[in-house]
Formats: sequence, C-alpha cells, structure tokens
Amino acid sequence: MKNKAPRSARETAVVVICDVLQHGRSLTDALSITEELEARERAFCRELCYGTLRWHDRLNGILNLLLKKPFKPKDLDITVLALIGLYQIIYLNTPDHAAVSETVTLCRSGKKSWAKGVLNGVLRNFLRNRASLESSVDESLNLRTSHPSWLTQALTKNWGQQSVDILDANNQYPPMSIRVNQKITSRNTYLKQLEASGISATKNPFNNSGLTLEHSVNVDQLPDFWQGASSVQDSAAQLAAELLDIKEGQRILDVCAAPGGKAAHILETAPSNVSLLAIDIDENRNQRVIENLQRLHLDAEIMSVDGLQPNEWFDGQSFDRILLDAPCSATGVIRRHPDIKLLRKASDISTLVTLQYDLLKAIWPLLSKNGVLLYATCSILSSENSQQISTFLREHTDAKEIKITADWGQPCEHGQQILPGDNNMDGFYYACLKKV
Amino acid sequence: MAKLEILHFPDKRLRTKAVDIVTIDDALRLFIADMYETMYDAPGIGLAATQVNFHKRLIVIDVSEDKDDPLCLINPAITHKDGVETMQEGCLSVPGFYENVERAEHITVKALNQHGEAFELTAEGLLAVCIQHEIDHLDGKLFVDYLSPLKRNRIRKKLIRTDKELAQQAK
Repeated sequence: MKNKAPRSARETAVVVICDVLQHGRSLTDALSITEELEARERAFCRELCYGTLRWHDRLNGILNLLLKKPFKPKDLDITVLALIGLYQIIYLNTPDHAAVSETVTLCRSGKKSWAKGVLNGVLRNFLRNRASLESSVDESLNLRTSHPSWLTQALTKNWGQQSVDILDANNQYPPMSIRVNQKITSRNTYLKQLEASGISATKNPFNNSGLTLEHSVNVDQLPDFWQGASSVQDSAAQLAAELLDIKEGQRILDVCAAPGGKAAHILETAPSNVSLLAIDIDENRNQRVIENLQRLHLDAEIMSVDGLQPNEWFDGQSFDRILLDAPCSATGVIRRHPDIKLLRKASDISTLVTLQYDLLKAIWPLLSKNGVLLYATCSILSSENSQQISTFLREHTDAKEIKITADWGQPCEHGQQILPGDNNMDGFYYACLKKV
Repeated sequence: MAKLEILHFPDKRLRTKAVDIVTIDDALRLFIADMYETMYDAPGIGLAATQVNFHKRLIVIDVSEDKDDPLCLINPAITHKDGVETMQEGCLSVPGFYENVERAEHITVKALNQHGEAFELTAEGLLAVCIQHEIDHLDGKLFVDYLSPLKRNRIRKKLIRTDKELAQQAK
C-alpha cells in the first residue's frame, strides 16, 4: 500500500497556515513540509502562505462580512481555505473562476464536503460585491493594513505621522539582499559574476559588501554560494560590522549570535588576527552558525550558553568589542515574517524589554575599559530601543553613548533607527555604548 | 540484498491466490529482507509477496513516520473486525492513483513472524487499513476492485498507456 496522495500546493498551504494559526508555529518552521513539493508547486505554496498571512486580518474582515456566523474553531481549515481563495482573487492573477473552483474542489474529498456549497457561495458573493466589501473593511486602519490593533497603536504612539508609511511598508515584498565574502572575492567581481548568470543587482550604498538583487533567486543560483562567496542578509543587518570599528588583535564577543550572519560579516571584514566568541543559548541554532562559518571558511569559537549567566562560561578575559543582537519583537522585519503580526501579543513586549535589559546588564561587565558594545534589534518600538538605552545609561555611570552619524536611518534620543522600507532595508535599531 | 520488481495492475499475476507458507528458513528471511528494501525504496508503507510475483502468504508493513517500525506477517488471518472507516488508499501496483476505500475500523489478526512464532495483533487506523489492503493482495484482490467499473477502467487504460511509454523509453 502507498500512503496518501502527495499534497497539492493549495492543500499544503492550508496545512502550513493552520499550523501557524492553531499551534503558534513560526511560518519559517511550518514551511518545512513544503520540501516534499516540486520546485514550482513549492514556490506557489510559499506565495499563498506568505500572502495569506500578510493579509490575514484584512481577508478575515472581508470573510466575516460574507458569513452569517464564522466557521467553528474545529473548521479552521475551511476558514483558511476561504482566506486563500480570497487572497488569490484579490492579490494574485489567478482567474476568478479558477480561484473559486480550485478552492471548492479541495473540500470535495474527505469529511468536509459540506463546506463545498458555503465556500462556493462566499467566493461568488465576494466577486459580486467586491468593491463595496473591500472599501468597507478599509475604513479601519487595522484591517486595511492588516495589523493587530495593539501594534497599530504602539506604532502610532512611537512614530506619529510616519506610522501609516510603516504599516504599508510592512506589507511590501522584501528584496533579497546578499553580502559578498570579501575574504574570497570583491563586490565588483561578484556583481559581474551575477550579471553573467543573468541576475541583476545593485550595490548597497552604505557598505562595501552588500548587493540587493532585482528579483529573489534560490541560493543555489548564486555563483559559488556553497563555496562561501556570498550570504543572504538584509542590508540593515550588514551595518553592524562597520559600526563595531574593529582594530587589530581585538577580542570580540557576539551575544545571541545564531544564525551567525553578523559574526560572519565581522570576520569577513576584520583584521585577520582578531578572535571572536559567538554565543547563543540554543544549541540547534548554533548548528547553523557552525554551518555558515564553515561554508564561508571563517573561524570562531562557538558556545551554546546563556548570555544571562556569564559566570557559567566567562573566563575572565574581557572583550574589546561586544555585539548584542538582542531577542526582540521583530516588528522591524514583518515584511519578511508576516506571521509576526499574528503570533506576537502585546504582553510579549514587556517580557522582551526585561530580557533585553537583563542581557545588557549581564554582558556589560565583560567589556574592557574603552571597549564598545553595539546594541542591535530588529524592532521598531522605542521601548526595546531608545528607551532601553536611556534606562541603561541612567543606571550605568561607566557607560557613554557614541552617537552614530550615518546617511541611513534616523537619530532617536539614543541610537539610530531604520524604519522598514527606508532605502529598501528592514527595520533595525543600533546604539553604540562605550565603557569609560 | 536486491530490489524486486513490482507488478502493475492490470497484470494477471496480481490475481493469483497465494498459498500458505510451510517452512520459514534463512532463504525466506533473505527474501523478506528484499521485500523490505523494495517497500522502503518505492516508497510504500506495505508490500504483499503477490506484488513481487511470489505467491505465498507473506506481507511486510511499516506505517511509522520514521520508517523504523517494520512488521512482517506470515500466513495472516483476520479473526475479528468491526466498525467502518474510509481512507484514501494508494498502491504500489497502481502507481499514481489514490481513491477512498471503505474498510473495517478495528481488526484483530493472527500470524507468524519471520522466526515462525505465532502472535496476535489488534490494529486500528492506518495500520488496520494497511493490513486489510495487503491481505487482499494475497487473495488476488486490489483496492481498485472496490471502485466503480468506470473508474477502474479509466485507471486500467491510463496504466497500460504509461507502462507502455515507460517500456519504450527503456528501449
């Protein structure tokens, strides 16, 4: 006997999205089951998952207008099927009749054939009253931009007028940016190699190693990727290495290093006699650090330890440079991880703020006098960023902020903030602290 | 070890009724190993000897996710069944087709293992369905027999065509 039929792209998308909505699994993790699909189906399935989650609240708002009462929680798969159907009609070029029939067909087999008629009705009613339904949900900023209200409120409080642009930028497709390994090749040479493979790219204006591709590609298509010539990394994350301003022979600590992108960048650009210790609490994620450094032919010490408990692993030799890429709300990278809008809760923020502060406090004593600590997050909430540094400076008289002067981002009371979409970058925050 | 050739519907040999096994020896155990290899490679979750043109009552099964729970049934006989369950089935002898089939939900089966020891097993869900599917093979029966003649004929024609194309490509 052979088990079940291989799933289609649409069926797989239902499973993935239910996994995120029901079990709170991250989209990146849930997408692992798409490995079993063939390449074209997989790309379509990913598009459906990303898009439906990106627009979840808006699509769900429309669905609620079309239903007398919502589907039962145990019929989440039917709700998701309806959302995927609406997504295809509104945002993809799927012909209307195909979107309806392909969606309805999916509940023909199995125990949910009762839903066939309802789904057919929902999607056809949407097609009939499309304009009025869309404009009716779009009266609400939360629904129009598909963000939970706590986040819309927090962003409005933090960024005033700019918040609407942020909300819209969060729904844009992110570009694929890469970092050229300068230990192996130069950006100009690599750009030529890319062009020879038919991949157009532009140089990142803020460093010497970044390129942004015109269209996303599979890493297998990047020249010499597996030989270590380049890595995938957003341009905003590529600013850390230079901010650390690393000198000959320095000892560097990278806290919460996994998956190791910034550690690798540091080693690619720093003088060769520096030493780097990369720590992360998660042993599995550290495996990614090891793989990445191996692929890039770089060398660092890697430890799976808790940054909050340096007494368990610190050997007493202080560090000249520390990068603390703190665990955060990831509100700056929603365009890459639309599931954040659904998984993150308002109450998570205060937990993260406490954790970030505890990490800063625990790691600070490991910094040498005159040493520099770079605090980084991919958050755009000031409670995790500027306010965090403000509190830290107040309570640590041996800490002084080094103002970042840069052509990117915007200065906050403390530190420099990049908002999502600024120069086509992810939302990111950096603050430089010196020990005096 | 060697991979064995799996017969495809509508091959007449799949209609052979298998006979009981009398001696369980090393030669048979080697053949069982080949059957496991063939099943895992396909990949399938169950294989009856009939499907590899060996007409003795012998089946191998592994319905586990990690493919680490092999089960060998020699001279299996269902002693009890109840309930009704519909599941989508596919078959290594009917490649590419999947259809809903109704079977008993719970079964009790007795059989010999590959060392000739008798045992009894109660099963439900996928394992119960798989055992019934494989025992059908030993009786010369296929899951397509439960479908409407129209569907069965469509599958027959398509399979004859693809097998012909494959044979031509091989030449």
